[in-house]
Order: sequence, then C-alpha cells, then structure tokens
Amino acid sequence: MSLWVDKYRPRSLDELHYHPELSSRLRSLSASGDFPHILFYGPSGAGKKTRIMATLRELYGPGVEKLRIDQRVFVTPSNRKLDVNVVQSNYHIELTPSDVGMYDRVVIQDILKEIAQTQQVDLNAKQRFKVVIINEADALTRDAQAALRRTMEKYMNNMRLILCANSTSKIIAPIRSRCLLVRVAAPTDDEMTKVLQHVAKKERFGLPASASKSILASSQGNLRKALLVFEAMKMQKPDLTGDLEVAKPDWETYCAKIADSILQEQSAQKLLDVRGKIYELLSHCIPPTVVLKTISERIVDKVDDALKPQIVHWAAYYELRMRMGSKKIFHLEAYIAKVMTIYKQFNMIGYTDDYE
Amino acid sequence: MPPSTPRKSTKKADSEDYSPKKSPEKKKVVKKEEKPAGKDIRGFGSQQPTSSSKAVNGTGKKPITIDDSDEEEEEKIEKKPASKGTNSKHFPSASSSKKPITIDSSDSDTPAPPNKNKPPTPKSKSAASTSTSSKRKILIGSEEEEEALEDVKPAKKRQSIGGGLSRPAAKKSAYVDESESESEEEKPKKANNKAKPSAKKEKSVSPMDVDESDESDEDDFIDDDEDDKPYKGKTKAKPKAPPKKTTPAKKPAPPPKASKKEEAKETEPKVEEKKPAPNNNWRAAAAARASGPKNPGSREIPEGAPDCLAGLTFVFTGEMESLSRDDAIELVKRYSGKVTTSPSGKTSFVVVGENAGASKLAAIKQKKIPTLTEDEFFKFIQGREGGQLDEKQLKAKAAEEKKVQQQALEMEKREKEEEKDRKRKEKALEGTGIATKKVAPASSQLWTTRYAPTNLKEICGNKTVVERLGTWLKDWQKNYKSGFKKPGKDGTGIYRAILISGPPGIGKTTSAHLMAKEAGYNPIELNASDARSKKLVENFTNIDNTSLDGFFQGGGIQSTSVADVQVNSRTCLIMDEVDGMSAGDRGGVGALNGLIKKTRIPMILICNDRSSQKMKPLMSTTFNMTFRRPSPAEIRSRIMSILFKEKLKIPANVVDELVKGANSDIRQVLNMLSTFKLSKDQMDFDEGKELIKINEKNTIMTPFTITDKLTGPYAFSKTSKETLSDRMELYFHDFSFVPLFIQEHYLKTQPALANNLSGNEQNLKHLELASKAADSISDGDLVDRMIHGSEQHWSLLPFHAVQSTVKPASLIYGPGRQSGGGGFGSWGPAFPQWLGQNSKQGKLQRQLTDIQIRMRLKVSGGRSEIREQYMPLLASKVIMPLVDRGTDAVEETIEYMDEYYLGKDDWDALVELGVDTMSEGLITKKIPTATKSAFTRQYNKADHPIAFHKGDMFAASKKKIADQGPAPDNEDVFEEDEPVPDEASDKGDNDDEADEINDVSKDKLIKAVKPKGAAAKGKAKGKK
Repeated sequence: MSLWVDKYRPRSLDELHYHPELSSRLRSLSASGDFPHILFYGPSGAGKKTRIMATLRELYGPGVEKLRIDQRVFVTPSNRKLDVNVVQSNYHIELTPSDVGMYDRVVIQDILKEIAQTQQVDLNAKQRFKVVIINEADALTRDAQAALRRTMEKYMNNMRLILCANSTSKIIAPIRSRCLLVRVAAPTDDEMTKVLQHVAKKERFGLPASASKSILASSQGNLRKALLVFEAMKMQKPDLTGDLEVAKPDWETYCAKIADSILQEQSAQKLLDVRGKIYELLSHCIPPTVVLKTISERIVDKVDDALKPQIVHWAAYYELRMRMGSKKIFHLEAYIAKVMTIYKQFNMIGYTDDYE
Repeated sequence: MPPSTPRKSTKKADSEDYSPKKSPEKKKVVKKEEKPAGKDIRGFGSQQPTSSSKAVNGTGKKPITIDDSDEEEEEKIEKKPASKGTNSKHFPSASSSKKPITIDSSDSDTPAPPNKNKPPTPKSKSAASTSTSSKRKILIGSEEEEEALEDVKPAKKRQSIGGGLSRPAAKKSAYVDESESESEEEKPKKANNKAKPSAKKEKSVSPMDVDESDESDEDDFIDDDEDDKPYKGKTKAKPKAPPKKTTPAKKPAPPPKASKKEEAKETEPKVEEKKPAPNNNWRAAAAARASGPKNPGSREIPEGAPDCLAGLTFVFTGEMESLSRDDAIELVKRYSGKVTTSPSGKTSFVVVGENAGASKLAAIKQKKIPTLTEDEFFKFIQGREGGQLDEKQLKAKAAEEKKVQQQALEMEKREKEEEKDRKRKEKALEGTGIATKKVAPASSQLWTTRYAPTNLKEICGNKTVVERLGTWLKDWQKNYKSGFKKPGKDGTGIYRAILISGPPGIGKTTSAHLMAKEAGYNPIELNASDARSKKLVENFTNIDNTSLDGFFQGGGIQSTSVADVQVNSRTCLIMDEVDGMSAGDRGGVGALNGLIKKTRIPMILICNDRSSQKMKPLMSTTFNMTFRRPSPAEIRSRIMSILFKEKLKIPANVVDELVKGANSDIRQVLNMLSTFKLSKDQMDFDEGKELIKINEKNTIMTPFTITDKLTGPYAFSKTSKETLSDRMELYFHDFSFVPLFIQEHYLKTQPALANNLSGNEQNLKHLELASKAADSISDGDLVDRMIHGSEQHWSLLPFHAVQSTVKPASLIYGPGRQSGGGGFGSWGPAFPQWLGQNSKQGKLQRQLTDIQIRMRLKVSGGRSEIREQYMPLLASKVIMPLVDRGTDAVEETIEYMDEYYLGKDDWDALVELGVDTMSEGLITKKIPTATKSAFTRQYNKADHPIAFHKGDMFAASKKKIADQGPAPDNEDVFEEDEPVPDEASDKGDNDDEADEINDVSKDKLIKAVKPKGAAAKGKAKGKK
C-alpha cells in the first residue's frame, strides 16, 4: 500500500535508472576500501538520498536497511533540552541537525564525537568505519560547520561523513575541500519518462505520452514530485486520457490566489489582507522562499513583459534579505508592497525604471 | 466682536458655604490635638506617658463620654462664634482680597487709562485706535474676515522667509544710514498703518526683521496707503469696539523707530499677495497653504496679557501651520484659557487648522461656534486684554481668593497655637526630667506634615467617600453590638473593616487617620516598614490570646498592649500598604483576614491596587472604598492658600498645570513647591512646566500607547517638536515589542503625507509610502539579526530603533484607518499577529517533524518535501476518502497510515497542516462526526506499528536515558543476534510487542526491537 514513489525506490546502485556513470563511480569507491567523506548535492527530488542508501548497501550489504529511529536528548550549555531524532542502522547513523535550529552545533559535537570515538564492534562488518549522514547540510550554521572540520580529519579511522545538501554555496570552503563533491543532477525529461514508464509497467498499465508530458511539465525535474503527481493523476483519472489537469497542491493554489489578488487591487488594505494569507502559509510550514518564488512566478506570468525583469529583480533582492534576516514575513511583505507599487505605477503612469 | 462668553463658576457657592465655619472647626481640632493621638505606633508609644491622654486610655468607657461631651461642647461653641467669626473674618479678608481684583477689573472696565498710556507713539492716535479695533472685529467671525485673512497670511509668510535668510552683515550697516533717511519719509504714512501692526504685533523686533522691512519698504510704499483706506472705512462702521491698545502698552516699549519699521514691513507684502489670492474661503486657503511651502515654526508665538484667555474655552482641530497641537494647548493654558477636545455649546472658539476633522466641522457649523485660523488665534491672544471677565467670573474669583486667604490665615493661627503649645509643654517638662520626644517646630517640618489636613474640610476631593468612612467609624460600636447584621444606609454596617484603595499621594492615609481621630478613636498604624508576617500579625493583635477578647470581659484587664501600644475599645487599627505585604510577610494577608473576622476594633486597610491577586481574600471581608484622584480644581484652593501663607506667588493656572503634571498627587505637588520655594518666590508658566518635567515620574509606556504616539495623526508633522532621540526613546521603552507593533500597525493608517493628493494618486502615494516603510522594516530585521544573531552587536540597537520603528512611523503616520466594523482591533494599534503566528508555526513545525521522522523509514524526503510534495497526495489517500466516502473508507485509511507509521495524532496534524481548500476548518466540517468517531474507534481497536517511541513515552526512564547517553554497542549486539522476522510473523508480533512495551516500558532494549521489526516489515515488502 505504499505510495509508488516509495514502493519502487531503487535499493541498490544497479537498480538506479539514470546517471550510470555516477553509479559506477560510487561502486568503485565503495569497493576500494578507501572511502572518502562525500558531499552529495543537487536539487530536491534528484535522487541524492536514494543514491546514498544504495551506496551504503554497497558498502555494508542489506544490513543497513534495518533502520531504526531513536530520539536523543541533548542539553545545551544554557541547559535547554533538545530532542533530536536519529535514524540509524548498525553501520550508519543519520541526523538532521538543522531540526534544532541554532543549537545544531551541540548536536554535531556530541553525536559525532561519540560515534567517532567508538570503533566498529561488529566483526562481521565489511568496513571498519561507520558512516554518519548529515541531512540538510547547507542549513547548518557556521558554528556547526566549523565544529565538523577537525572531527572530519581526526576521526577518519572510525567514521566517514556523508553530507547531503541542495547547494554547496552555503557550505564553508574547509568542509568542501575535505569532501568528495558528488553532484546529483536532476534527471532529464527522457530519464524521467523512463522512470515513469518503469513504474507504469510494474503497476501493469500503459502510460500515454500526453500524460507523461503533463507530469513532466508540472514536476520540473523533481522525480519525487513527478511520481507523486503521477499517482495522484492515476487516482483522479484511472484511464489517464483526455484533459489531464494536474491537481495542484493546496499551498500552490493558495499562492496563486495571493498573486491574483495582488494584481487585482493594489492598496494598503490589500497588502494587509495578503499579509494575513502569507501568515497562513508560513504558519502551515510552507517555507518562505517557496512562497516568494511561487507568488513571483505567478505574477511574472501575468504582468506586462516590461515589468517582468523588475519583478524578478525584486524577488531576488528580497529573497536574499529573507535569508539574511530572521523574521521572514517582514521581507515578504516588503516585496509585495514593492510589487504592488511597481504595478500600480505602471498602470497609472507607465513604465518607470525602478531598480533603486 | 470678541465674544467673551460669560461662564458661571460654581465655585462661588462652595466657598461661601465653607468660609464661616472655618474658625470654630479649627479650634476644635486644635483642642483635640492636645491628646497625643498616635499617628503611628512608635510615636504613640513614646508619647503615652506624658500627657492627658492617660485618661482616655486608662479607664474604659469613662473617657469616652468625656470625649463626646467635649465634642458636643465644642459644637455648641462652634455655633456661637460662627456668626462672630464670619463677620470678623469676612471683613478683613474681603477687603484685602478685593485688592488684587480691583486692579484687574480696573484694567478691563476702564479702558481709558491704558489708552492714555499709549501716547509714546505719537502720530495719529485716533486713526490708529480705530483701525485696530476694526481689525479686531474682522478677525472674529464677521463677513469681512476673509479679506483680512488673505492680507495677514501672506504678510506672515513673507516675514518668516525673511527671518530665515541670514543677511550679510554689511547690509546692516547700510541699513543704519538708510533707515535714518527713510524713516523721515515714512513717518506720515506709517502713522496710518500704525493701527494694524499694533494689533498683530506678535513679532518681537529683531534686527533681521527691521533690516528686511527697510529694503522692501521702498517698493511697496505707496500701495500701502491705498490698502489701508478700505480698512479705515470699515472701522468707522463699527466704532464701538473696545480699544485694543492695552497690550502693546504693557509690553516694554520697543524703540519707536524699530517698531515702525516692523509695521511697514508687515503691511508691505500684503499688497503683493492680494492679487493671486482672490478666494476667500478658509478651506481654500488651507488647501492653498498645503500645496505651497509650509512654514513650520515660522510664526512667533504671541505674547498676550496674563490671563487674557480666562473664561474662554478653545477647541483645536486640524493641523496648524506653525504650532503643534500640544504647543497650542499649552499656549491657551498659559493664558488661563480652557481647552476641550470636541466642540460643544460651551466652546468659545474653534481654532481650525488644515485637514480638520469632518465631524468637528459639522459640529461647529451646527452650533455656530466662531472659528479662528491660526493667525487669528495669535492675534486674538495678542490683542486681548488680561482678565476680561464678566461679573460672575469676577465674583467667583474674588470669592475664591477670599477663601484662599482665609484658609491661609487659619493655618497661620493654628501654627502659632501649636507652637505655643509646644513651648508650653516643653517648659512644663523641663524640670521634671521626663524624656519627651521633641516635636519639631512647624517651620522645620515638611510641608506635607505641616499642611496635612486637620479636619474633614481640608481634605481635597473624595468628600463623600471620606464622609462615609466617618459614619462607618462612628457606627462601628453600634454595629459591633448588633453583630454586624444590619447593613445600614450605605451598606457599610456589615463590615468590620474597610479597604481603601487608590493611587499614592491623594490622602488615603491622612483621611484614615483624620477620620479615626474625628470619630474618637486612637489610630494605630502599621505599615510596610513593620514586619507583618502571619505570626506577627497574630501575635501582636493576639487573636488567639485574650487580649482583644479579654478587654470587654470583667473589669480587671481593661486593655492590652500591642507592639508596646495600648489597645482598647477606642483604638482603630490602620493597616497601611496592605498590598506591600509580600515575600517577607508570609501569610500576612491571610492572617489579617483572620483578624478581620474576629476584630473588636475597627480596622482600616489601605492599598494601592485593589485588584491584585494578593487582595483577593480581603474582598469578601472588607468594604471597598476607592479613592479617586482629586481634580485640579479640588486641590487648587488648598494649594493656593498654602502658597499664600508661604508667600510664594504662583498663578492659578500654573498651579493647575502642576497638579495635572503630578497626576493629582498632592504630596508630590507640595514637595515640588517646597523645594522650589528655596530658590524663588514666584513661578511663571514656563517654570511650572519645567518643574513638572523634572519631577515627571518615569513611567514605562505600553507598546500600544507608544505606537499610537509614534504613528498618530500629527506625530511627524512639521510642527511637532519631538526630536529623533525623543522618538528613539519611545522605542527603548520596550524595544522587543515596539517594532512588532509598528510592523502590525503601519498598514493601518491613512498617511498624512499623502493627504494633499486624492483618488488614485493618493492611493499610489500611500502604496509608495507603505513600500518604503516596509523596506525600512525589512532593513530593521537585518539589523535585528545582527543584534540577536551570533554576532550580538548590541550597539546597533539605536540603529535598529530608527530602521524598525522611527523611519516607518515617519512615513506612514496619520490617523488610523477604520478597518471595517467596530470590532476589536478596529481602533488603535492591535497586538502583533507575528507572535501568535510564530508560535503557531513552531507548533506545526514540530508536528511536521514528528510526521517526517515517522515516515522517514519509508520516505527519503525531509520536512519541507513531506509538506510540499507528499502531503497533497497523502491527504488524498488518508483524509479525502473520509470526506468523500465516510465510514467505508476508514479501513483503507488506517491501512495507509500504518504503512507510514502514522498515528491518530499525526492524522490530526496532517489535517491541521492543510491550507486553502485543505484547511483544517473546511476539512473537519466536511467529515461527519459519525465518520470521525468510527475512525477513532476503529483505530483504537487494533494495534499499530510505530516507528519508534518518543522519549516522553517513558517519562520515568527518560532522564536515565539522557544521563547515560546512548549505548549503541550494546544495542548493536542485541540487534545482530535477532533474526530478521518475515512479514507473517511480524504481524503477529506486533500485538504482543505493544503490550510488552507497556509492561517493561523502562527497558530501553524493547523500544529498539519495535521499530526494527517494523522496518523489517517494510523492507520485506519493498523487496518483494
């Protein structure tokens, strides 16, 4: 009864559908006995974690798939207790330090040291080292990243790190230089079609080309999304023919509504309404950058060509501020105020070059 | 005509009522004073042995009767001398008090003398005076008003511009020559002009002004004459106007030459401006001004005769050009006028500025209240004579003054008597060797003790409450005998104690003491400086012992002693500062409450804040008596008489300001004045203001008022006097909240900066301002990050103040925009949403993390991926079926949930996380209750795989786990040995395991088994 995306997840390097050269590189790395620290990076839904798990399987055998979850309690210097969920097998441990926000350094220091200082006890294990997987490595604070540096060298005997990130830009150079960088690119359309066909075949039905096209269009190179959309579509229209309107997720339709209302009326009162809606999205765990991006895309779609560059410019400008600041809504609101002003100005006076 | 509307002051009647009785009452009080009625225990104790009060204390009831008779006698006496007293008193005081008034009235009633004073300006007297008066008339509401207005305004403008320019010094020297030659030419013509300038001569003569006037004179010379002619004509038409020359005459006469030049200058630009401004409507004028350059602070604030606005009531509306609202109000008060916020029938004038409120304008029209512009207002002040009061006001004033003096005399008399008494006592005791507590002579006492009220009449304000306190005390014994069953007239009869509450400094303690003494009790005061813990309260009042109880039994023990003080039936316990019974006085309030229930003497409790939690137990056992802050009018006469006695000359309006500034805290006012007395003998308005400022209590404002203040309609208008640092100061009142409030509020105003536009343009401007403000707030957040982030640059706080608070406020200040309806938050700053939304986000984030970690065994995605990509599909698998198919779908739903290790809680969280069409409200509405309960029932029936156990499921063992830390090796061994169960056996295991966990939940190993089994199950399936 699993969702298809989980049901047909490849388990070994051989099963992977695309990036064969990467698979063979990983295979030889795990065979070499000199496995390095690796930093996997690439867009969401490209298959990073699937590849990591497949690599681990290659390293240790099927034992790594015996996962269990542990909740650990850490105490910060300020005596705050932190709960961190840890996923582990006998051979590896996986954590997401960014769950605890600014206290991630404590987690990194405690867990890594503990693991690094104990040797592999299991005599049957294929490797002498254990693997620590750090998810969302690009969300680590600088302090936490700094805490990694020395550990990575000092405990090389007992432990290998696998970092998983969307982009390397937020990982400090010393870490990058200590890792083997492995980029997992998003699959091409062909590769994605191949995967979709594979799933369709396993589920014993045919996938019409039109359907796979609309799935690809809406998933933008995110294979996870593509598969989920695929299943949703199959659920909606079992025959997969006719008008295949891909059902948009709730937050996306909501963002679209916000964008429409921005273009419909530009006033302080409207801005106030929009603020309420954005609060709604943010409080329901939609990341602010996603909100900004989705709204901007929608607006860019609809406005006059002359305005498009400006709107994108400001979107980028405020996204940067959002990352630098702490209260995201302030920047989102400033962005929307800006867009409203530009748009109204354009409607009333005509195009004005306002890049500040 | 300047309508000096007559207002009757009600004070007159009061003062007449009181005055005759004063002297006898004082006598009585003095007599009583001889008894050492202890003000507090310590004082009481030490005085005890020395004086006649022994009689009172020593022998039960007897002294009481004596006491009573005393009083009665006194009353009798009181009546007799009353008439005498009045007569004798009345006479001198009346005569003396009249003096100042006559001076005043002579000013207003006989206009001749001031006119005679005028001659220093010799040329064309008659023309001058008539034209002035005409001007005056014009100013106030007549039809010609507009013309005059147009004239005057430009004149002002010009001048201010001139004043702003700094002229080269060289010019000045040139001017000397020029002026001499010119002045001769000008003289004849200036004589004509003379009148006008004198009326609006608010400008102090500065060399700069003179300079300019000289230059421009040459051009516009001839025009001036022509302009003046029509005015003269008008003047003649209304010849009865009172001459307004008094004001200039009173002022230190400026050198004649200079004044003339000024006049010339003022008249001259008029001509220029006349042509372009034909519209006479003041609204149009306001609009014109708005578009043109404004001249904030351009006008010099006029100087009027003292008290020239007495008896007049002003209302300000709209924004004035050069005065801020506060300044304008202050100006009116300075000249003893009154300011109200909304126009009513009693309003004398409305001063209308720019963007006046529509409702006010309507009210003005309806009630036909005369309006003034700023210029007219200034001129009005300048031109009006001091003390223009009608007869009734004069009478009232006279009566008040008389009263003040009388009171002062009484005080003096009493003081003398006390002094005498004190000396007598000292003498008497001199040789006896009995140590006495030295009473300081009155002159060396604090004003607050020296002028503490000694009888009921002298208490300022709260009269009815105090009287009620008195009757309660008098009836206490009676009520006691009847067992506190009869409520009595005012309902106080059933209480053994009274709880007085009210702000500090308004005479609570004083009233309590006074009334207790007046009712014949010996007040004993216990205040925060005494320890009042439970034990002590019980001990020193001996509720458990026989002391109080035993007093009435038998003749043997007639009194008991408490803290060295004799307590008897005529003792009244005053517990001051009850709310100060805090940490140190553990159980104090409770013990006190116990005491109240049994007390055999009246108890008066005093506190500041009745509503505090600590006072709760007292609510039911005490009668609540709230003291309010007396109004300045109630305090004024008392303060005035003290001042009179102290020979400190402070006008009544300044006293009012002081009282208001101190929040009616009489004690503070007295303290302020007594220190002021050390340096000076009189105080004018400005000194008063300064004194208030120095003594201003440092109150922390709430973010609501701060936001209001920062974004109010005129907060950043050009007339506002506040500096950047003043505004930053506001931020620092509460620097963590104020920025949030500003962020919440900044879209809810109608920016004043966009006011001069309308329609779409205004909207655009508004948006631009909002966008700028939002940018600034966004900047502020970046700064905030630097402050609160890892860098901790706290020195950036002032910068943050500007970026997050002051700058946005400066852009969008203006009146609040009604955001629909009259509900909560539609008026004034609302509480920032951010806080609520942030905590909601945190909560949902935790729930999402929970979901993610459960699903982690099956899913590779992180939190955001779960939310953005999985959730929509997952919802269609586990939520929508329930909506669409109801109970039938329950099985299927649960199956999916088990697959991903989601529990019922997680299901709820999934629902809660939805937005838009999937929002929680919509979905829960759509799922029938029957389905929901079926779902819950079904879910609870079976056991479900769980991914792991949260730490808090083992509340007892949690700590242990945390302490010992993870022990991976041990677990590993265990895991390794266990065979991976296949799917079939796993299903069976699940049930057992669930039970097991409940039993041996402290065993960490069991916990590990579970998820592993579950994982294995998943894996097995996947492999297939």
